[in-house]
Amino acid sequence: MSEDIRAEIVAQVREVVARLGQLLAEGDPVVILESMKMEIPVLAEGGGTLTSIAVRAGDVVKEGDLIATVE
Amino acid sequence: MTFVTSPPSLDTDSRQPEVRLARLLDPGSLRHLHQPDASGVQAVRGTIDGAPVLAYCTDANSMAGAMGDHGCRHIVETIDTAVRDGSPVIGLWHSGGARLAEGVTALHGVGQVFAAMIRASGRVPQLSAVLGPAAGGAAYGPALTDIVIMGPDGRLFVTGPDVVRSVTGEHIDMAGLGGGDAHGTKSGVVHVVADSEQDVYARTRRITGLLAAPGVVRPLGPDVDDLRALLPERPQRAYDIKPVIRGILDPAPRFEELQARWAPNIVVGLGRLAGRGVGVIANNPLRKGGCLDSLSAEKASRFVRMCDCHGVPMVVLVDVPGYLPGVDQEWNGVVRRGAKLLHAFAEAVVPRVTVLLRKSYGGAYLAMNSRALGATAVYAWPEAEVAVMGARAAVGILHRKRLAAVAEDHRPELETRLVAEHERVAGGVASAVSLGVVDAIIDPRDTRKVLAAALAAAPEARGDHGNIPL
Repeated sequence: MSEDIRAEIVAQVREVVARLGQLLAEGDPVVILESMKMEIPVLAEGGGTLTSIAVRAGDVVKEGDLIATVE
Repeated sequence: MTFVTSPPSLDTDSRQPEVRLARLLDPGSLRHLHQPDASGVQAVRGTIDGAPVLAYCTDANSMAGAMGDHGCRHIVETIDTAVRDGSPVIGLWHSGGARLAEGVTALHGVGQVFAAMIRASGRVPQLSAVLGPAAGGAAYGPALTDIVIMGPDGRLFVTGPDVVRSVTGEHIDMAGLGGGDAHGTKSGVVHVVADSEQDVYARTRRITGLLAAPGVVRPLGPDVDDLRALLPERPQRAYDIKPVIRGILDPAPRFEELQARWAPNIVVGLGRLAGRGVGVIANNPLRKGGCLDSLSAEKASRFVRMCDCHGVPMVVLVDVPGYLPGVDQEWNGVVRRGAKLLHAFAEAVVPRVTVLLRKSYGGAYLAMNSRALGATAVYAWPEAEVAVMGARAAVGILHRKRLAAVAEDHRPELETRLVAEHERVAGGVASAVSLGVVDAIIDPRDTRKVLAAALAAAPEARGDHGNIPL
């Protein structure tokens, strides 16, 4: 089963911290967003393999935008 | 009047009201309020951890739990009895709504159930456990009560998938339309999504205990846990507030978070501090940076009013960078919904103590149970900031022209100097103490002790109002 990780706030992508193909546990950070003058890690909700990353550092994401997919 | 009956045998249908009620209540405590009949409802008395409660259950095996006039009268009598006794009342729901064959008679009965719930609102805790589909009138029943707990087979909707499809053309099943995922993450209708029917009973029992058995504050020794260590070193880094909440509350019973996956940038829930049942309201920096927005403000408002009307003191943990800016927010009524939080806190008469952990800016600072709104006490950890906005942002506005006038390579140096000056004059928790908006700066290791003392010192009180589903 795949899990889409989506942005929940308008933000700039500060850093992509997970690598494509990486095995993630629940709660592992995938990217770090910057919004409200804060650095907000976006975490994997369930565990799995990171099969796609839809953003790069510097991108601006809106609420609901796809960030990554975990399978 | 009660009727003693023999306990149900283990091989009976697990959907029988008798069986469901027996699983909710303390063993052997169940007493019928009326003889079993064809009304589709069973009402009982019993105890939860020894404390008296009233409960009713719709009969899933009788017309899919549909409610007729007779069954509705049982529910109304149960709720009225709970109010007379001052006991919590719990509804177990598995019902297709009003009995079609009875027509307007049944509809009127369902309306009288609503009216009874609203009469009881704020007077005794009302909990609803949704065990199966609860449609139409059976959906609004739970929604009028204080807490809605949903099991894996629970479904809540006004109109089911067939009607949705014929009217709007949307294809969706019952679980997708009104199951735990929909109401736990999208609508906010359900407060607790349980893992199993057994878990529904366990959570219902724990929450009933927290609301109905307030307990008294016991003196605490000095704390050993350094709660400050749970926060990141860098102030702009987000973190999860929940370990901090668990560190402040007693280890048992565990913190019962409500609406955990809906508007998660604010955390609300019930637990105990030094033995006293408390409600916790806390910003969660891990989600949306902990900002307040229209949904989180509304979520917190209803919880604050629920605590107030049931006499539950509140602990408010603040780390808020502000209100979330945006067109969506403004058009979604962040002003209207944010105003609810101001109103809820300022109106509350229960003891309510605030701890500023880190950031506390602007309108969001005021909304999080500030001194201006009548907080019983406001404490701050040493690194906390209280300001209209962050110092760097403030300098950018106040000194925009001056910063623009200097050469680009000199700008960071000037900015740093202006920020330090601004912090000295306008910000910092020390100036908040001298203004009287913060009572004291406390060592994070003393947080539990200080909160317990503040709650123990404040007179018990209870707001005289209902708990309208905001």
